Amino acid sequence: NPIVLDLAYNFIEFPSLESRM
Amino acid sequence: PIEDLFASLSKHIQRSEFEQAAKVTDQVLRVAPGDEDAIRCKVVALIKADRIDDALSTIQSTKKVPIDFTFFKAYCLYRQNKLDEALESLKTQETNSATMLLESQILYRLGKMDACVDIYQKLQKSKIDSLEINSVAGLVSSGRASE
Ligand SMILES: [K+]
Repeated sequence: NPIVLDLAYNFIEFPSLESRM
Repeated sequence: PIEDLFASLSKHIQRSEFEQAAKVTDQVLRVAPGDEDAIRCKVVALIKADRIDDALSTIQSTKKVPIDFTFFKAYCLYRQNKLDEALESLKTQETNSATMLLESQILYRLGKMDACVDIYQKLQKSKIDSLEINSVAGLVSSGRASE
């Protein structure tokens, strides 16, 4: 079978915590 | 103080220590139940720690919090191979590159290659890294390798 990458994973992102520290 | 917990959380995230990051989010949530940043970080950390079941139950336990977890939920369902549920969940979501990518990956697993390839063709303008790999997989699997 052809290779399929989980590209959606790259859109699972942490929020910026800059203003919380 | 909560600022120190967020600093520690941020450090773990930068080091890709996702289990540790999830633990710190629990510490934040004990001090500040319902903190949206902490909940968001918890869900993402659990997904990145490959704890998909725990990520989903966290999403389900935060129904009162006004965060839209639809994309994360659909992603978790996809990882659990609950493909119809995942698609259903995505339908309620506004369309963007992320939802389109996920939808195409779900359609690929469902064997709906033409629909899968259609989405990749729409995404071509958006310059997503490695998109052509999945696009080719869809074309090959649909017997359209010559394209
Ligand atoms: K795919």
